Amino acid sequence: MRRGRLIGLAVALALFLALALQPGLFTPLLSLLVEPGTPLVYTRQSLIALAVWHIAVVASAEAVAVIVAVALGILVTREKGAEFMTLARMTSNLGQTFPPIAVLAMTVPLVGFGFQPTFIALAAYGLLPVFENTVAGLRGVPATTLEAARGMGMSKRAILMQVELPLAAPVILAGIRISTIINIGTATIGSTVGAKGLGEVIIAGLQAGNAAYVLQGAMLVALMAVCFDLAFRSLERRAFA
Amino acid sequence: MIEVRELTKRFGDRIAVDGISFEVRDGCVLALVGTSGCGKSTTLRMINRLVDPSSGEVMIDGRNALDMPLEQLRLGIGYVIQGIGLFPHWTVARNVATVPRLMGWERERIEARVSELLELFQLDPGEFAGKYPSELSGGQQQRVGVARAIAAEPAVLLMDEPFGALDPITRQRLQAEFAAIQRRRRMTVILVTHDMDEAFKLADTIAVMDEGRILQIASPEELLREPRQGFVRTLVGLDDRALRILSLHTVDEIRREPTGRWEVRGETLIDRESGRAVNGLGAGDTLREAASRIIWEAVETLPVLEAGSVVGEVRADDVWAAGGRRA
Repeated sequence: MRRGRLIGLAVALALFLALALQPGLFTPLLSLLVEPGTPLVYTRQSLIALAVWHIAVVASAEAVAVIVAVALGILVTREKGAEFMTLARMTSNLGQTFPPIAVLAMTVPLVGFGFQPTFIALAAYGLLPVFENTVAGLRGVPATTLEAARGMGMSKRAILMQVELPLAAPVILAGIRISTIINIGTATIGSTVGAKGLGEVIIAGLQAGNAAYVLQGAMLVALMAVCFDLAFRSLERRAFA
Repeated sequence: MIEVRELTKRFGDRIAVDGISFEVRDGCVLALVGTSGCGKSTTLRMINRLVDPSSGEVMIDGRNALDMPLEQLRLGIGYVIQGIGLFPHWTVARNVATVPRLMGWERERIEARVSELLELFQLDPGEFAGKYPSELSGGQQQRVGVARAIAAEPAVLLMDEPFGALDPITRQRLQAEFAAIQRRRRMTVILVTHDMDEAFKLADTIAVMDEGRILQIASPEELLREPRQGFVRTLVGLDDRALRILSLHTVDEIRREPTGRWEVRGETLIDRESGRAVNGLGAGDTLREAASRIIWEAVETLPVLEAGSVVGEVRADDVWAAGGRRA
């Protein structure tokens, strides 16, 4: 099981790096998709640079989403914060159901083009899975364990830090994984408002009717998502060793 | 010393615990016995303030538990629950070390204490210290639970159905182990149980509770000999009370000087009067065991052995008298 995951990760990572660093290797495959004479490899920007930008915007948005969602999840599972449950759930649901493309349309007039609107859209979009999993993880801590911790004289803070969060960690990590995977895909729309990222390749392909570009961009995004998924899964297993 | 005075807990209109009072002297075990919902667990949980009393007082060694800082109070009270509640993400050693760590003991002291406790509960430290709770059997988990509760030598130990979730054989073994440890350590214990046999086995004093009140509080023997009318009688059960009284006493208490009728021949012991080989009783055997052996062997007298030699004998009449109604 663990070995299979590592092999999968190595293969996906190798394919991703090959495609990003040596796209020329794939020209025989890409040439099948387009009319002869069409450019096969996207060269306006280096693919690896776009990949790094892509990761940067997803990671920064995800960092904010995780901080906010975990904090909210902790708040609503405290005795005193229970009343905020409905509000917090509504907020994170709204973040997920409000189309990111609409968020872009609304935020561009406020913060301009490029990184910022994409960052805001992704942070809002990534909230829900992390929030719901944080709540589920914290609620899943066995009642007897909590009773024992309280009975032995642990402070509320110690119970949270030493017992609840470590026990909820695998579930919270799963939420972060889902949220990250979704956002790696969603981040491609950032290119419509000028954010640097792999979406640029896809959009250039769509505009020029070049299926080779579209496939290149989509493959890179998909492989990146697969790599993160596998890496997170091995992290989740280790969190509860 | 624990003193509980007029302790009351109301949940809305319902009175869960209705003005109960009792004392537990240092080194003694009090069992709170009753059916589900009688208020025994609530009473226990008011002592470490997992439940806030509606009124009344809890004094521990002369200090009012209700005035003490919550965490400080609980650090000084061991707590064992039916579900055990071991921390699944911590090793056995880390679990046992919970309270010493919270109290800021030094590492060497904690390590020494953990090893000592694991040995006390017959868990080889080399084998078990690094294991996780999920790798242990139910009985082993419960041993770790008790070890964790007494790790920092608390003044008071509270146990809520500690052996309830175990199979009967493991339960009996753990009860015996706990009784042996208690004889040496002399902890001040309040034990909640619905199992009358467990109370008879472990407690110095038994309080029978029903509907939030203590109906009778007495020593096991007194409870058996003079149970109050009604619920206490039902709970105690009168059919086998003679046998239960016998199980509270040991052979040592009624043994007489040996007569010359016992002869040791190598490994076997011969009763000269009947010419038959007999098995002797141990001085620590209960009179219930003695009675059973006397009935089975169909004899009037059995020898008491200690380290291979006869140190006394037990007569059937004395056993019957010990278990019978007092004149």
